[in-house]
Amino acid sequence: MSRINDVGGMVGFPAVIEEPDEPAFHADWEAHVFALNGVMLRRGVYNLDEFRDAIERMPPAEYLASSYYEKWFHAITTLLAEKGIATPEELAGG
Amino acid sequence: MSTTHDDGPLAARVRHVEALLEERGWLADGELDARIDAFAAGGSPANGAAIVARAWVDPGFRERLLADASTAIEELGMSMAAGLQVQPLVAVANTADEHHVVVCTLCSCYPVALLGPSPTWYKSEAYRSRVVRDPRGVLREFGLELPDAVHITVWDASAETRYMVVPRRPEGTDDLSEQELAGLVTRKGLIGTAAV
Amino acid sequence: MADRFAPGDRVRTRTADPPGHTRLPRYARGVCGEIVGTCGRHPLADELAQGLDSAPRAVHQVRFRASDLFGPGEDGRDHAVVVELWEDYLEPTSPDPAPEGDPT
Repeated sequence: MSRINDVGGMVGFPAVIEEPDEPAFHADWEAHVFALNGVMLRRGVYNLDEFRDAIERMPPAEYLASSYYEKWFHAITTLLAEKGIATPEELAGG
Repeated sequence: MSTTHDDGPLAARVRHVEALLEERGWLADGELDARIDAFAAGGSPANGAAIVARAWVDPGFRERLLADASTAIEELGMSMAAGLQVQPLVAVANTADEHHVVVCTLCSCYPVALLGPSPTWYKSEAYRSRVVRDPRGVLREFGLELPDAVHITVWDASAETRYMVVPRRPEGTDDLSEQELAGLVTRKGLIGTAAV
Repeated sequence: MADRFAPGDRVRTRTADPPGHTRLPRYARGVCGEIVGTCGRHPLADELAQGLDSAPRAVHQVRFRASDLFGPGEDGRDHAVVVELWEDYLEPTSPDPAPEGDPT
């Protein structure tokens, strides 16, 4: 499906901005999200294509407003709920 | 597009989900830290630089690299098997007539296990949307002005293969050692948004 | 099972917009290109994303002229874009050599 992630050739995005001396992660939580996804993939909770699919299903405005690892965290929690690991309410910590 | 985020609430949510998964046995204590440490010790642009430098000094290696990069890098003690699964690696070499640049328009595919994490700009919608359509313009924004006669090939890493660019060896580097040559190669050079 | 395509073949990409996850970018749909390499056989991402079992099938590197993808560029110069595509996304450009049993 033509989803918001499918941006190749799309017009209107701004100039590419480089960040000098960029660290691997900008915050601890980013590293944790990265590692958490790796563990869930290894455990077979979901596969890589399901993970990509979960990112792609984000509402377009939310996708564009989210940072890279925010998208990842959104996909992880979406899949944890869909796979029955925890309810959305439990994941949200309400 | 902002690089500054209020991390507080998000960091807390991540911690909450981690605790929940630990409680339910989906995550072992210390497992994430071990993975983060392993990741930090794994891929690095230095690997790519060493591959390129070897290709510059050893024509036989260059040939093997361009024919089958996944196998050739094993000569340097490297492997594409470090990630979740073994991904095929393809190396494409710039010449006087041809310049290569790599993107993943659909997400952010990159040889992470070999080269470490990709830069944020590589994952940005700006880069992913524009470089397939106007590579010359995007490269100009990176300060790379290619001669008119140079043809550009953009590689969209849309499936299983991961790509790296072998830049052209700069002029006047005949006296440099392999190690010194590797010091010239940048991460952008390995993606194709810098000359070297 | 024999691969449907080989390097050197001219192919056209599918135009259909599939219902879920796919790895055929929108900009490369319904366009003719040339297979310049083959990168092994892999399960189809579209099926894995739905949690289905998927048999490995050939994935090809297909080279397109940018002018075929986006029209003539503003500066009049062309470039090439190579996209890696599962054979499911590809059709022969000429109907003549099409094998039997290739639905849709």
